[in-house]
Amino acid sequence: MRSTVVLTEVRNGLRRNLGLTVAVILTVLVAGVLGGLSFLLHEQVNVMKSYWYDKVEISVYLCGTDSVAPSCLGPNGTAQAVTDAQRRQIKADLLSLPQVKEVYYESKADAYKHFEEQFKGSPIAASAPPDSLPESFRVKLKDPKTFAAVTGAFTGRSGVEEVQDERQLLDKLFSALNGIQRGGLIIAALMVVSALLLIANTIRVAAFTRRRETGIMRLVGASNLSIQLPFLLESVVAAMLGALLAGGLLAALKAFLIDGILAPSFQFTPFFGWDSLWKAGALVLIASMLIAASASMVTLRRYLRI
Amino acid sequence: MIRFDNVTKLYPSQVRPAVDEVTLEIDKGEFVFLVGASGSGKSTLLRLMLREERPTGGSVHVLGKDLNRLSAWKVPALRRQMGTVFQDFRLLPNKSVFENVAFALEVIGKPRHTIAQVVPEVLELVGLAGKEGRRPDELSGGEQQRVAIARAFANRPLLLIADEPTGNLDPATSVGIMRLLDRINRTGTTVVMATHDAAIVDQMRKRVIELEGGHLVRDQSRGVYGYSR
Ligand SMILES: Nc1ncnc2c1ncn2[C@@H]1O[C@H](COP(=O)(O)OP(=O)(O)OP(=O)(O)O)[C@@H](O)[C@H]1O
Ligand SMILES: [Mg+2]
Repeated sequence: MRSTVVLTEVRNGLRRNLGLTVAVILTVLVAGVLGGLSFLLHEQVNVMKSYWYDKVEISVYLCGTDSVAPSCLGPNGTAQAVTDAQRRQIKADLLSLPQVKEVYYESKADAYKHFEEQFKGSPIAASAPPDSLPESFRVKLKDPKTFAAVTGAFTGRSGVEEVQDERQLLDKLFSALNGIQRGGLIIAALMVVSALLLIANTIRVAAFTRRRETGIMRLVGASNLSIQLPFLLESVVAAMLGALLAGGLLAALKAFLIDGILAPSFQFTPFFGWDSLWKAGALVLIASMLIAASASMVTLRRYLRI
Repeated sequence: MIRFDNVTKLYPSQVRPAVDEVTLEIDKGEFVFLVGASGSGKSTLLRLMLREERPTGGSVHVLGKDLNRLSAWKVPALRRQMGTVFQDFRLLPNKSVFENVAFALEVIGKPRHTIAQVVPEVLELVGLAGKEGRRPDELSGGEQQRVAIARAFANRPLLLIADEPTGNLDPATSVGIMRLLDRINRTGTTVVMATHDAAIVDQMRKRVIELEGGHLVRDQSRGVYGYSR
């Protein structure tokens, strides 16, 4: 069949089934937005991971006179501050670990100064006595994933109150974000199922309304392809329109919400870039066209027997 | 051209075959009437020729092809060499006469200039020159059947299959349709036509094949509709 004939058929078919076509477009739109959002959230977590993991440190807090950790208690059961010898030895041992890149020392006074800076103007700053904050070693690792070597070696050592890995705090945030992303994916998958059923139903209705045409086509010897192609193209075109709209919405979200509002107000947080958005758009477009095509082929096999 | 060897067709839901052990042969250029009471299996026999149905027993050869062995994707090529006409015309109501005929050529991929040349020719042949722009509902039954015949004949088929083409028409109009089918037959096209119309069969004096309960009970050259009249 000539391509102009096919195109005319496709256009007529879309128009004749306008209500269902719009339903397919909207369903694909919602599925596409949800799927795209969960992809973008995934990208966002990755961006934040690579940004923050480089910056996170391990803090090795040293014992003070008010510590309660067992490793800080002396033989008489009272807390003992870390000695100079212990402090030197801990630093030397930290530096000897192959995973460690850098170690620097934060005294009680430094800690208080940072604390004051962070909570300037807040009553908390005034409430804390200057020597209530512990001294610590801040450790930067060559590869943040190897933190277990440091925590394992120093937790419970005498003179060390606690080893804290900032990465663990971040991981809690990231796993929460991943949970949201998975939830989005599940809803998107449900929407895909409804899109599949809707497309199947649309084709069934279209095949029924056009049974005269297809019956004649069969009798005069039109090939299976030319009988089925208009139906297939119709659903693929509808899905494509839905996907393009979804891509447009995602782009608007990136431009107005992220670039326009969030990025200026959270300057220390990196956000996913336009490359991720293009990827999300392409993914949604390809997936929805494939889904529409496969739903159509399965349905056509059943309802347009040759 | 057409050969049935011991062909039986039993529809899945039925107990009695619609076509029962029929053997027949139709040569190129013949004009054959298929007669028999309602339900005797005429339409089923025609559908077997068109490969709309597959036999449950025996073999059907059409245009040199064993339809049992013909793979599904080759069926369209076979049907392009066959024209079909039905009692209910089967025209597309929202297309003009010209477009109805052109549609049959478009969907088998004929180029535009061929269509522009062939459609007026075949409409002229069936006597519809000047009515190309009309819709089916602006035509009489006889004219609608002429459009259907034009569509069936547009691709110059080797075989024309007609299932009660005059079933919905009055006797005078039917005669016109039969003249047209006869003309088409004279161009060398084999015509197989199922009918209940005794007057036509008696008048034309062509080969008559009679079915009764799915069995072939009579095959007579230059026959009449029935003995017992
Ligand atoms: N699709 C079908 N499924 C089941 N049974 C069928 C089907 N088509 C026809 N039959 C049965 O097969 C038998 C023959 O039917 P067929 O249509 O071939 O008869 P016919 O000679 O064309 O009748 P008519 O003159 O009324 O058109 C009938 O008993 C009919 O009920
Ligand atoms: Mg019949």
